[in-house]
Amino acid sequence: MGELDHEVDAPRGATSREWEVFCREASADPLTHVGSVSAPSADIAREQATRLFAHAAEALWLCPADETVRVQDESLALDPDSDGADATMDEQAMHDETLRGEAE
Amino acid sequence: MISVSKLLTDLDAEGDGLRYDAAEESTKAQIRDEKQRRPVVVWNVTKQCNLYCDHCYAAADTDIADGELTTAEGKALLDDLADYGAPVILFSGGEPLVRQDLEELVAYADEVGVRPVLSTNGTLITEERAASLKAAGLKYAGISVDGLPERNDDFRGMEGAFDGAVQGIQNCLDAGLKTGLRYTITERNAPDLEGVVDLLTDVGVDRFCFYHLDYGGRGTEIVDADLTPVERREAVERVCDMTREYHDRGEEIETLLVGNYADAAYLVEYAREHMGEAQARRVYEYLRVNGGDPTGERVADVDYQGNVHLTQFWQGYSLGNVRDRPFGDIWEDESNPLLGALREREDRLTGKCADCRYSDVCRGGSRLRALTVEDDLFAPDPQCYLDDDEIRGPEPFAGGDATSPAD
Repeated sequence: MGELDHEVDAPRGATSREWEVFCREASADPLTHVGSVSAPSADIAREQATRLFAHAAEALWLCPADETVRVQDESLALDPDSDGADATMDEQAMHDETLRGEAE
Repeated sequence: MISVSKLLTDLDAEGDGLRYDAAEESTKAQIRDEKQRRPVVVWNVTKQCNLYCDHCYAAADTDIADGELTTAEGKALLDDLADYGAPVILFSGGEPLVRQDLEELVAYADEVGVRPVLSTNGTLITEERAASLKAAGLKYAGISVDGLPERNDDFRGMEGAFDGAVQGIQNCLDAGLKTGLRYTITERNAPDLEGVVDLLTDVGVDRFCFYHLDYGGRGTEIVDADLTPVERREAVERVCDMTREYHDRGEEIETLLVGNYADAAYLVEYAREHMGEAQARRVYEYLRVNGGDPTGERVADVDYQGNVHLTQFWQGYSLGNVRDRPFGDIWEDESNPLLGALREREDRLTGKCADCRYSDVCRGGSRLRALTVEDDLFAPDPQCYLDDDEIRGPEPFAGGDATSPAD
């Protein structure tokens, strides 16, 4: 197996905190990661996860994504050398460009 | 996505080419013979947007958000999607044109064989960017307009947004780029529907996609501004009538309905009433093969941070992140009981959906709306507008030749 020396530490959660959800379908089954929900608090995250998985789960565990350390083999990384620079216009440039086509 | 014009006037639907593997432009055989096996992937390349629309599912804002996939990561994602066999990538946002590497990403998608199409508000499409997107290999631009000028500008939070979008459309058409309208129907803008089509037809647009509001992002906040079932039925009937009227005048426009598969059942009923039993059967067979609501199967979403969602509207739950696992591994992982349940949802649907005779062409409609309004993943879609006598009864055309071609 790999060295697990690549840490994925990019932020997640578009509008509020993200919560990793783990589900056990029956007591003999493994606890399985089943994705994440966006919620501002643990109580709301629990409600969200319950609505999605109560039909299948005997147990749910939730963990804040920003408290979860994710390490993996480097070969799995989308781009291990990525420097984090983004390609998006800054806000002023965006406003300057808006409706420019119409003004021409 | 349901092509009204194809079903009611036999127009060859570009919509199929936009959704399906378009290595060959003619995709009729694929559509008829089998359900699409790999999802169209919506990629919200940024959360940033220059407008602030009332109903934005991505809750986009003017600020740059943390964690956007970089250009290199984006290309690696496109490699993943190509390996998995995703037929189409829909660049969306936020407003995708705020990304200055959009042309580079479009060109890369085209190079690796994932058909690049675009969803935009149009207000950043200058002549230069229209030309550069076309040169990069973009196959289609869908530009959002949500009403006649005053209403659209109010919705979008910027005076001049309508004129800007129309100029963007004009710039795309001048660059030789196939361009269409995206229109989300709500109570406020339903009266403008025909007026916008008439106006944009004069500009040269011939493809019109009408979206039903889904209840994600800021769309959740305007559920009260959504159409009532009666109003929705009337709006869909007007789309059908308008499509046939244009066709009868010899003006071929393509019209599509998106996001509410009660429309599929309604179209069968409409065809039966206005065009006869044979056409109704063809409409039904076509829609049955296409397979109803696509959530978690024929459409997927990757947000700006790489989170994978069941549809672009369902941003509050993520299956996983492409920075952790390749997209295909996430999408194929049915150890996730939600994914499995959505793909085998027929036996789980409750209420009027449980014994609806149109379940084959609808599959219960939007699970997100059911969850948002009814707090129940398998409750009926609150936007269903079918009458009781349309829902009940034996399966339409049961015992017919299920493999007969739709036209």
